[in-house]
Amino acid sequence: MNRTDTTDELTFAELAAKAGLPGRTIRFYIAKGLLPGPVKAGRGATYGKEHLETLRSIKASQAKGLTLSEVARRLSGESQRQALRDPIAWWNYRLAEDVAVSVRADVAPWRLKQIRRYLNEMAAGLGGKMEKTNEHDR
Amino acid sequence: MNTTDRFTVLDAKTGKEISLAMEELWLKGKIMPVGAHLLVFHNFRSDENRPLELVYSFGLPRDAALRRFSVRGDGFRVRSELKPVAEAKQAYEKGIQEGHLSTLAQQYRDGLVNLTIGNVRPGESVTVILELLAGVETSDNGVRFRFPFTLAPCYHAKARMVEAEPGVGELELPDDEFGDLLLPRFVADASGLHRVGFDLSIWMPSPVKGVASPSHAIEVQNDDPQTFKVRLAPECDVPNRDLVLDIKTQEPLTGVLGGVGKDRKRHFAALVPSSRFGQRTKAPRRVVFTLDRSGSMQGVPLAQARKALEACLGVLSDNDQFNIIAFDNQVKTFRPKMVEATRSNLDQARGFLEAIEAGGGTELAKALTEAVTLLRRDEGDVFLITDGQVYGTEAIVRLAKGTETCIHCLGIGSASQDRFLTLLARETGGTSRFVTPRERVDIPAVDLFANAARPVAADIRIQFKDLPGAKAEPAAPSRVFPGIPLVVFAEADGTSTGQMEVDWEGENGRQRIQVPVAISNQPHAETIRLLRGARLITDLESRMVGTEESNQRNTRDVKELEHLSVKYGLASRAMSLVAVVERVGDQGGAIPQTRVIPVGMPQDTAFGAYFEGAGAHAFLGSGYVSASAESYEVAQEVGFSALRQSLRAFRPARQQELFESAQWELPEDLLLELASRLEPDGGMRGGDDEQRLSLTLVALLCFLAEGHTVQCGTFRSHVERLLKFVKNYPTAKLSDDQRKILSAIIALVESGRSLPGNWFLTAKAFLEKRPPTSGELWKRLQNEIEKNAYA
Repeated sequence: MNRTDTTDELTFAELAAKAGLPGRTIRFYIAKGLLPGPVKAGRGATYGKEHLETLRSIKASQAKGLTLSEVARRLSGESQRQALRDPIAWWNYRLAEDVAVSVRADVAPWRLKQIRRYLNEMAAGLGGKMEKTNEHDR
Repeated sequence: MNTTDRFTVLDAKTGKEISLAMEELWLKGKIMPVGAHLLVFHNFRSDENRPLELVYSFGLPRDAALRRFSVRGDGFRVRSELKPVAEAKQAYEKGIQEGHLSTLAQQYRDGLVNLTIGNVRPGESVTVILELLAGVETSDNGVRFRFPFTLAPCYHAKARMVEAEPGVGELELPDDEFGDLLLPRFVADASGLHRVGFDLSIWMPSPVKGVASPSHAIEVQNDDPQTFKVRLAPECDVPNRDLVLDIKTQEPLTGVLGGVGKDRKRHFAALVPSSRFGQRTKAPRRVVFTLDRSGSMQGVPLAQARKALEACLGVLSDNDQFNIIAFDNQVKTFRPKMVEATRSNLDQARGFLEAIEAGGGTELAKALTEAVTLLRRDEGDVFLITDGQVYGTEAIVRLAKGTETCIHCLGIGSASQDRFLTLLARETGGTSRFVTPRERVDIPAVDLFANAARPVAADIRIQFKDLPGAKAEPAAPSRVFPGIPLVVFAEADGTSTGQMEVDWEGENGRQRIQVPVAISNQPHAETIRLLRGARLITDLESRMVGTEESNQRNTRDVKELEHLSVKYGLASRAMSLVAVVERVGDQGGAIPQTRVIPVGMPQDTAFGAYFEGAGAHAFLGSGYVSASAESYEVAQEVGFSALRQSLRAFRPARQQELFESAQWELPEDLLLELASRLEPDGGMRGGDDEQRLSLTLVALLCFLAEGHTVQCGTFRSHVERLLKFVKNYPTAKLSDDQRKILSAIIALVESGRSLPGNWFLTAKAFLEKRPPTSGELWKRLQNEIEKNAYA
């Protein structure tokens, strides 16, 4: 990260105040690789407006429901699809002659049970019977 | 504490030592009948080449508050200061910026605490000794102490969860509710984490009968009949479950503990055993059983909870009303309104329980709202079985309190949500108990239900005589339940001798007793004062549902909390503890590397129940059902076999030798089965009237053989109902001999005496549908009664 305007230099305390985040949270982000370290290390360590923008971007991503690990992968340039776990296998459920639903195979067990419960209800509502067909990769 | 051999963890592949930022957590302190005064030693060490900032997250035990901490290192020892949260954080940040060793203990919602120590230098070892006060579960004949060595992941509708790497889960909570709280990484295999241990002393006002732990192997040493020492038997353990200690006393806990505090006031806690309040009232029950079927309950906990509820159904008679709710994200109700406990309804309820499967989140608030709607705010209780793994508990407590419905809680799990369930029960006038997965859930459930629905005293009022300025604070409970004493915390200004007058609504109208109060200058006076403060703070915090941000404002609750914190010198959500150590050579400006100390997943909570992807490999192989079955087997191996062994160890003889088959292996298993087969009229389920009477008599003899009578024992409600059935049986159908036998057995039950004989084998024969003939059974009963001269 290159600073072009020295007036954009912020101390750590100023960065925390402008971002509205506690100092420990910012250090935690740096440790997790979400945020680069200071532009200039040591006693006179400074941060640029890019740091501030990244912090705001992290907050926005969190508000959308992403975890910090997912945010880290996004910031490092991975696409959303790459951010999902590999390999991605999917269960395919046929609920009726004309309806099929795909479910990620790596969801938590409790979540899968819950999904299957609703799929069963949906199948019953559509006058069909839920059948699991082979899983497939995407 | 063994500090000579440094704990090391080796990588299984490379054999190289893995660096742990926190090496050890050791618990010391003293347990008393009304609370514990504890010191927790956290040993941190940095093996890295840059300064570290280490964050250790933990949950407070029940009714707990942090008092202070000290930081020890090479050439320094500094004690914390108590400051408003914003000031404490400012002091911490300033210390970090200037390169000093800074430590901050900040409390968040749900009793969660972040202990943060920043600027630990490369190669430096630092010990933080945290002092805290904690409540205990007090019963008439002992104390259960629980301390969290790990932290359970919990459910929150807005939580974000991910499996960050294989076997390591991360959980993030919304910052608008939890501020900058950092939760640890949850590690499926805790064997590579910091070591934990304990070395505690116990003091009881009456002689101690025994000390046991359902969670850890312990060594016990007694200095005198009232003072014991207990420590972890192995050198160390891993952080994947709570420490639970059971202390049983030879006589009921009674008397007044306390003395003159540092503020020169008299601080005391008075214990009045429940037996002093007489018998329980026998009004019809209206109860909504509320069962948690969320994902974290899968396996053994749900199976046991289901069995427990079946046995509780056996306590209901046909003038009782009930309903059942099973909840996860969704609430499923047995019937749209309360139903009478008829045979048909009970049979259908058992079918409803059998069909329940675990899955989904823990929307407890929805379930409680539904339960209260079913009761329509009339008299009635909610009986909740849950692992309590839910965040945002203050909102649930407030909602529950607003309904004015009594909630009794049975908690299940190896990582403590004891704090939450204690508050939920206390704030609604109910009772709570928390069992570990190494114990069976069904017996405590039946016991709790027998106690819970019928208090021995209601509308309790406390007055003091000859004790100037005396007041009960926190407010005394309004009800007393069988087996649980009345505990009154109070303070007084002047003299040390007077009376506490307890007035209550009992079986026969209002009653009153005088309890002498003689406050001697006991060494734990200050502890009693601090325990009072911790209770007041916890109670107030349980009502603070606002976000962290709004709580920082000058709301009335925050001001009140600050006042309590200052008065008692205890931290709270409004006041934090901070210490800054200025070491020689400190240089500012460097950013320490922040590390959050991982904890082990609670041993009974499936990793995949919370973290995405955990079950992926199992899904793609043989399916998740096999993964569940495996965890069930492991739980059985760890839990049930340990339980069986421990139960056998405590049970010298009696009927246990009769139980070698897998089914009904222990007497309790068979008693539970019998209990679940009671009909609404109190008799056992059976083919015809004669067979019902026969099995009812055998069941009574089984309960008596294990010490369950009308007056005492977990199954006392069942015994009472069986006896009622026998007494009401139309004797015109019986011969003279049979009538005599019936009278003799009624006399035995009423006097609480047992009749020798292998009644368990006979009961088993009935349950296995190969009952003895009527003639054989009556003959055996007659022989035993005559042989023992009971006729």
